Amino acid sequence: MEPIISTNSLRKVYRVGKVDVSALRGVDLLVQEGEFVAVVGPSGCGKSTLLHVLGGLTSPTSGKVLVDGNDFLAMTDADRTRFRRHKIGFVFQRYNLLPTLTARDNIAIAQHIQGNGFNPHRFESIAGMLGIQEKLNHRPFALSGGEQQRVAIARAVICEPKILLADEPTGNLDTENSQVVLTMLRELNRTFRQTILMITHNPEAAAVADRTIRMRDGRIVSD
Amino acid sequence: MVNKLILSNLLHRPIRTAVSMLAVAIEVGMVMLVVGLTHGMLNDSAKRVEGVGADVLVQPPGSSFLLAFGSAPVPVKVGDRLAERPHVQAVAPVLTAFNSANLSLIFGINMDSFDKVTGGFVYHSGGPLKSPTDVLVDDVYAKAHQVKVGDKVDLLAHRFYVAGIVEHGKGSRLFIPMATAEDLLGVEDKASIFFVKCTDPGYADDVIANFKKFLPTYDVKSIKDYMSLMTSNNLPAMDTFNGVMVGLAAVIGFMVIFLSMYTTITERTREIGILKSLGASKGYIIAVILREASVLAAVGILAGYVGATASQRALRVVFPSLTIQLTVSWAFYAGLLAVAGSLLGAFYPAFRAAQLDPVDALAYE
Repeated sequence: MEPIISTNSLRKVYRVGKVDVSALRGVDLLVQEGEFVAVVGPSGCGKSTLLHVLGGLTSPTSGKVLVDGNDFLAMTDADRTRFRRHKIGFVFQRYNLLPTLTARDNIAIAQHIQGNGFNPHRFESIAGMLGIQEKLNHRPFALSGGEQQRVAIARAVICEPKILLADEPTGNLDTENSQVVLTMLRELNRTFRQTILMITHNPEAAAVADRTIRMRDGRIVSD
Repeated sequence: MVNKLILSNLLHRPIRTAVSMLAVAIEVGMVMLVVGLTHGMLNDSAKRVEGVGADVLVQPPGSSFLLAFGSAPVPVKVGDRLAERPHVQAVAPVLTAFNSANLSLIFGINMDSFDKVTGGFVYHSGGPLKSPTDVLVDDVYAKAHQVKVGDKVDLLAHRFYVAGIVEHGKGSRLFIPMATAEDLLGVEDKASIFFVKCTDPGYADDVIANFKKFLPTYDVKSIKDYMSLMTSNNLPAMDTFNGVMVGLAAVIGFMVIFLSMYTTITERTREIGILKSLGASKGYIIAVILREASVLAAVGILAGYVGATASQRALRVVFPSLTIQLTVSWAFYAGLLAVAGSLLGAFYPAFRAAQLDPVDALAYE
C-alpha cells in the first residue's frame, strides 16, 4: 500500500533578511494511512516547518513531497490551498479559533470553506465524541483551554480530512486537559483510522502515538 | 456563514464600524445636499420667473438669463412700443437690482403694469406699494428674516418699510417702486427686463417673431425657452462646483473605508491566517473583506439618505429661502458613488490580506 505521506530529501530554506536559513536539510519520511506519528525534537529543529510543508502552508524548496499521491513541489499555492481545504486538518498549540464566532460557527466555517455545505449528522457526531455539545453557543473567550482545543479538533476533523496535523496540541494545556486532548486524538485514530502527525515536546504525549520520530537540526535522527 | 462572520467582525469593533458608516453617510448626504441645493436654488429661481405669468421675456442686448446679472437697462418706452404689437395683452417693465448685502434680487416695479401681467399679488398681510420707501416681501423672505408689515428692511444701503407680505412665486422676493429703484441705481426711465403677456399663450411664437423684427439686437425668448436655459448645463461653473464637491465627498468616503479596512486586516492578520489554514482561497479572503466593506457602504448609504432628508427639513425651517431639491436620480448616483468608493477603498487591503503568508499570519501577535 502506498504511504499517505512520502518525502525524499525534503529541504526548506527560508530567506530571513539577507540570510538563508535551512529549516529542513533533507528529510526522508514515510507515513502510512491510519498511523499516529509523533515528531519530537528541540526548538528550532524543523518540526513545525515539516508540518507546514506537509500541510501545504508553505512550499518545499527542493526534494520530493507526496501527500496522498499529490506532488507538492509541482503544485501552485492555489493548488495546495485547494488540497488543504479537502484533505488536511490542522490543530494548533494556540487553538486559533476565530474570536468573534461561536464554537458552533468556528466548526461550521470549515465546512463552508470546503464548499460541501453544513452536514448536521457529522457535526453532531463529532461534537458528541469530543464532548462539546453544551459549549457550542459560547465564543472562545468563554471556553477553557481544553474546551477550545476540543473545538479546534472538531473543526479540523469535521470535513473528514485524510491527514490531521497537530502542532503542539497540548502545549498550552494543563496535565488534565492535555490528557483529555490526547485521548481524543487517540480515539480519532482508533475509531476512524485518522492519520495523525503530531508535533510535541512532551514525551508523555509522544508516547500516545504509534511511532515517534526524532528530529535535530532539520533532519530526522531516529524513527 | 460568511454573513455571520462579517456581522460578528463588524460588531466586534462597534466604534470603528460606526465611524466608517458615518463617513459613507456624510459622503452620500453631502453629495445629495450640495447638488440638491444648487439645482434647488436654480429651479426655484426659474419657477419664480415663470410664476410672473408672462409668455415672453425681452431683455436688452448682451443680457444674461440670470436676472441678477443683467446688462445696462434700456428705456422704459421700449415697453410702450412692445405693448402696441399684435397679440400683446400687457407689458411690465422691471428694473432689477442685486442687493449684495444679503445676495437677493430686487424687482423695481410699476404696480399697475406688473399686476396686469401677473394677475396681481396675493397678500398675506398689508397692501400694495404706496410710498417711495415701501417694499413688498414674499412670505418666504418674511419667514426667513422674521419681518412683518411695518418693519424696517435695509436694501441697497437704503431703509425701506414693509408695506405688504405677498405669496411667493412672482419673480423676486423683494419689490420696490420703480422710481425708487431708478433713484438708487442712478438711472431714469429705464428697465432691465420686460415681462410680456400675450392675449393667448399660443401667440407667443408670433409675438417673439414680431419683436425680433422690431428689436433685432434684443434678447427675446419665450418663457419655455427661458426655463430650459435654467439648468446647470448652461452654468459651467455650477457643474464644475458640483463636480468638485462630489469628487471631494467620494475621496473622503474612499479614504475612510481604505483606512478602516486596512486597520481591520492588520488587526485580523492571525484570523486571516486561520482562514487560510482551513483552505480559504485568495478569492474567498478578498470576497469576505469586500462584502464587509459593502455592508458598511449599504448602511452608510441608508443613513446618508435619512441624514440628507432630515437636513433638508431642518434647513427649510432655519433658512426658508434655501431650496434644496433631493431627487431620486441623485440619491441613486450618490449611492453608486459610495459603493464604488467603498469597494475601491477596500480592494487594496483585501488584496494584501489575500497575499499574506499563512505561516507568518498565524504567528502574528
